[in-house]
Parts: sequence; C-alpha cells; structure tokens
Amino acid sequence: MILNETSVAEIKEKMVRYPRRKSAILPALTVAYHQVGHLNDDIYDEIASIIDIPAVEIAEAATFYTMFPKHPVGKYLIQVCHNISCALLGADSLVHYLEEKLGIKKGETTPDNVFTLITVECLGSCASAPMMQINDQYYEFLTREKVDAILDELRKQA
Amino acid sequence: MSSADDNKVTLTIDGREVTVPRGMTVLEAAKSIGIEIPTFCWHPKLKPVGACRMCYVEIEKMPKLAVSCATEAMPGMVVHTDSDLVKQGRRAVLEFILLNHPLDCPTCDKGGECDLQDLTFAHGIDDSQFDFNKYRFIRDKKSTFDDYRLGPEIIRNQNRCILCYKCVRSNKEVFGEYDLGAFQRGNITEIDTGPGQQVDSIYSGNLVEICPVGALTNTDWRYNIRVWKTQKVNSICQYCADGCNLTLWKDRQKIYRATSRRNDAIDEGWICNRGRYGYQIANAEGRLTVPLIKRGERQENATWDEAIELIARRFKEIKDKKGGVCIGGLAYPGLDSASLYAFSKLFRTILNSNNVDFRIDYKMLPEEPGDLYTQITSRKFSIAGIENSDVVLVIGSNLINEHPITNLRVRKVVTQKGAKLYTLNPFATKSGDISTDEIIYRAGTVEALINGLCVSIVEQKLASDTVDASKLATRVEPNTVAQAAKISGVEADRIVGLAQALGEAKHITLITGELLSTSITRDAITAAIMNLALLCGMAENGQIGFLSKYANSKGAEKLGVMPLLSDSLIAEMKTLWGGYPEQKGLGADRMILSAKKEEIDALFVMGSDPMLCYPDGQFVREGIEKLDFLVVADLFETRTTQMADVVLPLSSIAEMSGDFVNLEGTVQHFDQAIKPLGQSMPGYDICNKIASALKEPLFESVARMQPDIMRLLLREENPEIQRELREVKTSVEQASGEYTVPLFVVDQAHHFAHLTERSKSLSAFCSEAHLELSPSMAEKLHAETGTLIRVESEVGKVILPVIISEHIDNDVAVVTRNFSANPVNDLQMRKQRVDYVRLTRVEEK
Repeated sequence: MILNETSVAEIKEKMVRYPRRKSAILPALTVAYHQVGHLNDDIYDEIASIIDIPAVEIAEAATFYTMFPKHPVGKYLIQVCHNISCALLGADSLVHYLEEKLGIKKGETTPDNVFTLITVECLGSCASAPMMQINDQYYEFLTREKVDAILDELRKQA
Repeated sequence: MSSADDNKVTLTIDGREVTVPRGMTVLEAAKSIGIEIPTFCWHPKLKPVGACRMCYVEIEKMPKLAVSCATEAMPGMVVHTDSDLVKQGRRAVLEFILLNHPLDCPTCDKGGECDLQDLTFAHGIDDSQFDFNKYRFIRDKKSTFDDYRLGPEIIRNQNRCILCYKCVRSNKEVFGEYDLGAFQRGNITEIDTGPGQQVDSIYSGNLVEICPVGALTNTDWRYNIRVWKTQKVNSICQYCADGCNLTLWKDRQKIYRATSRRNDAIDEGWICNRGRYGYQIANAEGRLTVPLIKRGERQENATWDEAIELIARRFKEIKDKKGGVCIGGLAYPGLDSASLYAFSKLFRTILNSNNVDFRIDYKMLPEEPGDLYTQITSRKFSIAGIENSDVVLVIGSNLINEHPITNLRVRKVVTQKGAKLYTLNPFATKSGDISTDEIIYRAGTVEALINGLCVSIVEQKLASDTVDASKLATRVEPNTVAQAAKISGVEADRIVGLAQALGEAKHITLITGELLSTSITRDAITAAIMNLALLCGMAENGQIGFLSKYANSKGAEKLGVMPLLSDSLIAEMKTLWGGYPEQKGLGADRMILSAKKEEIDALFVMGSDPMLCYPDGQFVREGIEKLDFLVVADLFETRTTQMADVVLPLSSIAEMSGDFVNLEGTVQHFDQAIKPLGQSMPGYDICNKIASALKEPLFESVARMQPDIMRLLLREENPEIQRELREVKTSVEQASGEYTVPLFVVDQAHHFAHLTERSKSLSAFCSEAHLELSPSMAEKLHAETGTLIRVESEVGKVILPVIISEHIDNDVAVVTRNFSANPVNDLQMRKQRVDYVRLTRVEEK
C-alpha cells in the first residue's frame, strides 16, 4: 500500500459526502497527491479499490488534470500557463527564460530536486497574464525580473 | 390540452412540421422524417455527449448554433438543418477535426467507408487556415505510424482518432467493460487501455466497428483488402443460439471480415468476437477437401462415388441383417435446417431408424417423449421482450459466455431501465457486477434452493392466485426455508429477500442455461423452476427462457432430430413422408451405450465431435471403438474423424445458403458467400447421396424440400402450462473420498464447440484449455496465472494451466472444454450429477 492510514481514512470520509461514488474521484486524488507528491498507476488501483470505481475511470480523471503530476517532482513545481491570454503576453518566452535559468527543459527537474518546470492549460487567471503557479501559490503579471526574484526567494527556502 | 398531447411535441424542421414523442432529440426528430444530419459521435444505442459538434443546426431564437444530438425537441421549435450558417458551422468543425488528422487515406484501411472522408467530401473545404505541424503520437520511435496494440486483434492509431469517444462509451455503457479509457486532455487526448489491462473482452471487436475513422482497426481486415473490392453477403452467426445478423465481406473465394447487420429484435447492432472472427474457419488451413476411406490402419483419399458406395453397402448389410435400429445418427445442431431435416429423413424413411439426436453434450437424456424440459423449451421467448421485465432471474448460466448478446439485453434493462437482476449459480460470474444479489449455491443443490424460494413466496403470501399453493409443502422437499438454506449453503434471509422480490415483481424474465440443461437431474430442476414460475405468475406476466445452446438447436428440435417426438410431430412427419419407423429411438447417450453393448453397429456423425464434446470421455471412446462402421462428416480432422471408416468433407455455413432457428424460435435465412471448398458438400447433399445409393433420393432439389422444412419450423406448439405444482424431491450427492472439488466444464468465451479453434483471430484470445480458480483456491495451491495443475477425477486426469478468476470466490474448478489438445471430458462421468476432482500442483523438475 502506498496510501497511509490517514489518507485512506480521509478518502473514506470524503466519499460519503457525495450521492454518487464517482464524484469522490477528484477529492480522493487530491488526498493521494498531498500525501505522495505525485500520482501513478498503483495509486489509481488503490483508490479504485477504496471507492469501488473501475481503475480506468480514476486514471482518466487523474490524467485529465495537469495539476496532478504523474511522476516524482521537485520541491517546487512550476506550472506556467500557456493558454491564449498568457501566450499572447509572452508565456513562450517566459518558459524559455525559465529553462535557461534553471538549466532544464520543460518537463524536467533540476538535479538538486528543487524545481520542476511544466506548462499547463489555463489556470483561470487571464486578467493577470502571464502567470504561473508554484505549488499552491499563483504568481501573476510576470516579468523576467519578477521571475528572478521569485526563484531566488524559493531557492533560499529550499 | 389532453394528456396524450403532453407526451408529444410538434416542431418545424426545414419547413416541415413534425410531431415526435417528448424527450426525443432534434437529431432523432429530423431522422424520423428522413432529414439526415451528419454526425461522428452520435450513435443510436448510446447516450449523447455532443463531443464532435458535427450535428450543428440552427434553431430560431437561439443565439448560437445548437448540437442537435443533445438538444431536446421542444414545442414550437423552428429548426434549419441546411442554412448557410449551419454549412459554415460544419465546415469549421471539419477544419478543426482535421487539424491533426493525417492525410493517409490511401494507406488507411478505413478509406472508402470512413465517416470523416465522406463528410469532409460532402461538407468540408479542401484547405486549412492552420499551417503549423500536426501533433503526432508516436509510440514506437522507429515507425512514423502510431500502431499500438490495445489487445488481441485490435490496433490503435491515435493520430487518426477524432475523439468521438464511441469506443470508450460503448465499452462502458453497453458492454460493462472497464478496460479502455480516454486519457490526458485537449489535442493530446489518447484512447488507451486502463492501467495494466488489455482490451480482450468478448465484445472488443465492436469497438473497431463503431470507430468512425481508421483509429481502431482489427488485424484480420487490416492491409488485406480495400472495402470497394469486396461484396457483402447476408449471413447469420453460427456460434450460439442468439442468432445475430452478420454481413460477410468477401472477394472471390475468400471472406475478409464479418460485421453486424443490425437487427433490433435480436442484436441491436452488437456482435461478439465469436461471430466477428469465427468466419475464419471457412478459409482456415486443414479443411477436409476429399472423402477418406480407412484401408488397413490408414485413411486414404477416395472419390465420392467410392465413399458413398461403401457407406450404402455397409448400411444395407447392417439393416438387412439386424434392422435399422442398429444404425444411429448424431448431427451437430449448428448445421442448417435443410441438412438437419435431410439427416432425420434419411434415418426415418430410408434406414427405418429413429436413432437420431443432436444433443451430444448432454449427460443423460430423458427416455420419454414430451418431457417437461422439451415442453418448456418449445415455448416462446423474446430477447427484446427482456426489456419489459422489472426482474431478471438467471439460474445456472454464465450468460456472458453462453449468450453474449442476450447478456447485453439483460445488461441494458438492468443498467438503463432500472430492472433488478438476480443470479443463482454454483460459482460467481461477470453478471454479478450488476446483480442486486448474486447467490452462489453449493454445487448440485439448485432444486433445494428453488424449493426454498417457492416456500418463502407462499409464506410471504405473495403467490399468484392462478395456482393452488396450498399443496406446495407436501410436494416439495425440502419444504422449509431453513432446510433449503442448509442444503444449498445460501443464507436464509437472502432466500427470503429474493422470494420477496420475485413475488412483488410485475414482469419477470427467467433465464436458465447450460449448467442446468446438461445436468442429469434436469427434470427435477425443470419441475422446480416451473413451480417457481407458476407461483410468481410468470406464465401471465413474464417469460421463461430455457435458452438453447447451438445456432440451430431450436431448429433441430422443431425438425424432430431427436429420437422421441411428440405425437403431433409424428403425425406431421407421417403426412410428409407417408410413413414413420415403429421402434422407439435412442438418444445420443443411449446410442453410445448401445454401441458399447454392440447393439448398435454403425454410426453416422454429421458435423459433431462426440469424442471431444460428450461429457464422459472414457465412455464415448469405448462406445465408438466397438462400432463396426463409423461415418463422420466434418470440416476438419477431429478426434472422431480419426476413428472413422469413412470421412466425408462437409461444407461450412459460408459455403451454402440455408437457415437457422434462434433461441426465440425465429427462422433466419443466410446466403451463400463462397463456393464449397474442394469436393466438400453441404450436409443435405451428403444425406441425399447416401439415400439415393440405398433406395431413392430424399429430394429433387433443396428448394423443393423447403416448404416441408418451413412447415415444421413454423409449427406453433407453445403448449399450455399445466397449472399444477409438481413434485420436486432433492437428492444431494456428496463428494467422495479424495475428490472433493466440484468440477464445472464450460465453454471459453472465445471458443465455441469444436470449430473455432481453427479461427486465427479467436486463437489469439484463447488457444488452450484452462483451469479457472478463485484467488483463495489458487493461493492454497501456491498457483499463479499459468502454473500447471494436475486435475484428477476418479476416471481421468488432465494437466491444465491456471487462470485466476476475477469473479469466482468459492472452491470450485472451472475448466474450459472443446480444445482438441486437452480433452477435459475425460474427467467427467455420465452418471454423476456433479463431477468432483482433486487438484495438485505439477512440480517442476
């Protein structure tokens, strides 16, 4: 078992809140993500047996949401929005800048396991484009200078 | 407004007024008056999703184009399906769908029958505003194609997929299989198997057929031929009694694939893999093409004249010396009606013998005509009628394997119409997934359990008033719920619960299958089921389906390919033939017994393989060895043809036209697709040749014989059910000594009778016999999937690889039969109700 007792108990507690068991898939995935830091096939199987939904449906939901990483990631998961508003305001060059600065390609993790860089679909913050999300925090109206400051700050905390 | 009007809505589509039932979509309303709206993701048997947007229509007063497949028709709607705005919408949708679609139509197997190709031609433009590179899925870096195997016979090319989700939706909604999903999102969405799974269900071929583009293809059709080079032939499936309608696609002498020819009364457009890939036996290697005659120890090629002359001479010798009663005939119930009729006529008018039977896989057969079982099977049953039921009761059937398409109808009424399903089986089956209660009884105790249900229905005062229930307690044994529970091993409260559900049901469909029909106590079981049916009022409100197994079992019954017939059927035959043999005939098992006692000297086996199918290997071997003369007609060399004095090459169903009677009693015609292979002949021609050599021809031409056949097939017997509760005493056999595990010999889902082993595609799903065990049983034996286990009964032993079951959870051994390499019938004994075995692990050296 990958999921610990606390997570299993939490999933079971969330399950009963919904009239249909299927609705508990996302809350269950969130619990698993918070415990493990990423998701994988074994976790889908475990959740499937807890909430009694075919594993394929769990996997479908999990892979639909880019917010759940499917491989181990660094301490800080940098998710740069690349949808229309952000793209128009320079998301692409922002990604290039981050790649250059971190010395990794999109989808990779720095050797010290601190940063992972990915691009994601719209995060609903178009009014403050370009933007990115690092772990649970939004960073908006980004410029190169702002990115420098954010990364410096995070590296200090790492 | 009257209440009748409340259920109807009237709207205008393209200037035409149409009134449709409330709840119908705009798309269906348009279809109903012949207006076609192009679609990709819509399917008549699936819930709408509105994924492809191709079915755009303009509805007045709506701000934007609406998807007609998911818009309910409303009173007063004014719909335009062909306005400029709609055309513009369709063009844009197509442009978008084609965004990443490869232009590989010349090498794509869907080319020529592709929805995307056709609709782009009809509604699209030949240019795109997008000039960036198309997104590509590449699994195998060495190839530019993304050809990825989802399971046996299914190849996926994700680049071609337009994300209509019909495969995933039908798989979950209709088939109840959760092995395929749509992963990721946006333009990188991918159709793939679930984690650690493969798509290998009995319904998997439908996913290919339902695909509107070339994203899913199957290996039998792929790269073999283009669709426009083939001709379509109407056919009927020969691999169970459901009688699904098929189209065979052929070019010259080869069949390339089989697809569904939708018939809503039976299959609703779905066929199982047996029907889809079973056609391959016609073109398979190893077909018999010339007659063989045994000379010394070897069977040597011979001409038809030599073979027929020999058969006629030997039959005549035996008949003149000892009478026709010393000749027996076994016919395969998957043959066409004309062959079965000619077979019966040959025996009864030329050989003067009533020894004909088609029931080769039944242990012991009744010795009296008109037994209750035969009476009930002659009653009407309707597959579509299952949808009227609020309770479906399945007793003794692994429905998904025995009748895959009837199973879909049961699934439909349960998952979409809210009916309750109860299953009563000696081991758990896939139907348990959707059962309200899946009751597992101890092997060989089903009548005790049914008696318990009857008693409980009466105790709960739920019995139908059309029957005198007061006598129940004196007629059945056990006659209390507690005793029934004790004998059957089912908790009393579950018996009471099911009895309540049955008593309160408005319309019940009762289905029983092979686990009962081939049992030696089937008379007692049938009587118990009849009691239950009477008490639940099923004769008035419901239907009882003792489902026959083979494609033409029902036809064989109606044509009288049985030794003991009802008086009315005998009278019918006398008028047709002017005579009928006097002596009582012998059933299949009695014929073999008589052969063993040297009372039967010659046997003519047409199309079946009793050596492999008869549920007592040793018995059938001893019987056949004692025969003086054995004639076998079949498609391939079998265990039975190996012992024959004369082997005749039989034509496959694809090589003739004819008809089958399905489990409902519906007569369905199939056309000839290809010419008989080599010198092979249809069964009726073989019978006619033998008859001509002996005395006189059976018929001038098959067409001339057809009215006689139809007269028998369309005869309605439908006997009135006697409204009297019957006596049902339970006798329980105990496992003896060291053989303690109950054995069930069943068909594998992808293998039927002795034939489909020759289908290459079906062999890819399953090519050998298995031992299926519950996880706990496997653990006891320290067995994993593939571990070899020695299965021993009192009379025989076989070594089989293990499959760990997803469903079974009690201690039983389920083995799959009819694989020529592992004759598991060696384990069975004809007189034993339940065979018991001992399982031991084969130690590796």
